[in-house]
Amino acid sequence: MTLQVVEIEGEKRRLEGFTPPEGVPIAFTIATAGTRLGAQMLDFVLTLTVIVLAVIGLLYTRALDFNASVTLISMLALLTRVPYYVLSELLWNGRTIGKRLTGIRVISADGRRLRPSQIVARNMMKEAEFLAPAQVFLMGGESGLMLVLTFLWVCGVAGFFLRNKRRQRLGDVIAGTLVVEQPRAVLLPDLSLAADLPDSAGLIFAPAQLDIYGRHELQALEAILRTPPTGESGQESIRRVAATITRKIGHEPLPLGQELEFLRAFYTAQRAHLERLRLYGTARENKFHAEGQGGKR
Amino acid sequence: MSVGPAPTRPELRSARFRQEREPGWRRLETLVTRAERGGPQALDYDDARELATTYRQAMNSLSVARDISLDRALLAYLESLCARAWLVVYAPQESLGGLFTRLISKDIPQAVRRSAVPLVIGYVALILGALTGWTLFYDDQDWFYRLIPPSLFDLRGPDAPTSYLRQTLYEGAGTIADDLTAFAAFLFSHNSRIAILVFAVGIFGALPSFLLTFYNGMILGLFFALFQSRGLEFDVFAWLSIHGVTELAAIAIACAGGARLGLAVLLPGEQTRREALRQAGGDAVKLAVLAVLLLVVAALVEGFLRQTVQAPWARLSIGWGLGAVWVLWLALAGRERGGR
Repeated sequence: MTLQVVEIEGEKRRLEGFTPPEGVPIAFTIATAGTRLGAQMLDFVLTLTVIVLAVIGLLYTRALDFNASVTLISMLALLTRVPYYVLSELLWNGRTIGKRLTGIRVISADGRRLRPSQIVARNMMKEAEFLAPAQVFLMGGESGLMLVLTFLWVCGVAGFFLRNKRRQRLGDVIAGTLVVEQPRAVLLPDLSLAADLPDSAGLIFAPAQLDIYGRHELQALEAILRTPPTGESGQESIRRVAATITRKIGHEPLPLGQELEFLRAFYTAQRAHLERLRLYGTARENKFHAEGQGGKR
Repeated sequence: MSVGPAPTRPELRSARFRQEREPGWRRLETLVTRAERGGPQALDYDDARELATTYRQAMNSLSVARDISLDRALLAYLESLCARAWLVVYAPQESLGGLFTRLISKDIPQAVRRSAVPLVIGYVALILGALTGWTLFYDDQDWFYRLIPPSLFDLRGPDAPTSYLRQTLYEGAGTIADDLTAFAAFLFSHNSRIAILVFAVGIFGALPSFLLTFYNGMILGLFFALFQSRGLEFDVFAWLSIHGVTELAAIAIACAGGARLGLAVLLPGEQTRREALRQAGGDAVKLAVLAVLLLVVAALVEGFLRQTVQAPWARLSIGWGLGAVWVLWLALAGRERGGR
């Protein structure tokens, strides 16, 4: 299975077809450009702070003589660049401190574990893509031509990063890595078991009534029931949803105040119906299944 | 675990499925959370074994749930639970020491032997650069000032007297070790940054790497020509050899790493460029790591030995001796026994 990127609401993109060795594809959310920039800035500030603190400490305490101080600082300046990123991503499985704080991490695009050579590759390229240009701009003292060239370079690198769907920078392409959001898992209760529904005749549905809707509508209803809108306008919108459904399936109009109960019962019945159909090979994607679109998978 | 007071008889198959499997998922979740907090060390032997079993069960659940369940919350939960568990189960396992040993004993030499063409490109860039610099110097000495940034040559220009030039080759005999450490550290951080840059810009069709290496070679050629014009060629050759054999090899190898990337972009063959880059990436990065390692050695030699070893013959034999060691290591290490 090949990797695919599907846009979901707003900036977010979902990565599909990512297959671990077990052969069951799992989905990740690709980290947005903003989050990654944030993580990079955090790391950058953090490493700079370490160096500045070391310089201040050495100046203040005079613990070491001049030469030893210079040695220490220049080694520190070196260690806080590529080695910092490589070691932290190696030790924390694809996370630097900035990435930990922003909740993103590096994964290998082939579904295997993240290999050290991949980590080294993406971070060596980071030196050229981000750290070296940042140094040119921060330190100053370069000629105008150099600044223009660096600016063009940064534009090219950023353009590549923003233009590809998987949000890979050059280093990610070479290493074969992706940066994704740390998955968070919360198991919500099963709605079909949530309520003790009365077996009143009004809440039993005939198969014909359940043949109208498909998966999409069922899951939209699920979203409404999981977080029922509150307040006056919320009540109103629930009433409207219930009214639409009763009209579509030819159910008698509901007495006031029973809408939520009706929706729950309808959800359970509809889900049971669709799941049974699915088991026998008929997957109804949405309410247009009768017209031949989206009926079969 | 929420199996306890379950409703008497769930009528949905998917709900029953969930009730049966949920304890396993909860168990996996606790194990994964523990491993996420404290690393894999937080799990003892039995836990780790249980992690593997429950992970496979959860993967299986996910596969089944996709077919039989339309409960989006359940699918989302299983998907992220499996993703989290995958991240814990398939984490890097190498120790840093083991990694380094394998890199030295096998990976780097093999990568070098697979990269003959890029290595030729790297050395050709360097040698052509040196020849150009050398010719330019004899053409017009002003090239020296035009091409070399002042910070690099200090006073060692064509206008300096021969006695001064000779002195620069043999200065610093009495320097104390403290100065030398600082000097070596500075050299290394400066050179390694250049090497990484030479490597990384190679992705744009290898040409930028080639040009940077060519430029480095040109500086070398100009310097050599300057000293040669004063009859100091043997002295400067020895002075350059002691660290230069290693340092210039590092630059050429970094260029070869860049060329590897560039060639993958220019000539991807049957694959997409993205795929070709990914395949070339592994070897290219090993070349870059090799370049940085060589620079560590070169900086130590340049920082310490060049000042303390003054005799030209000693300088020559140290420099070229080191070079021979590198060649032997890269040519012989990590060969598979028995052959295929």
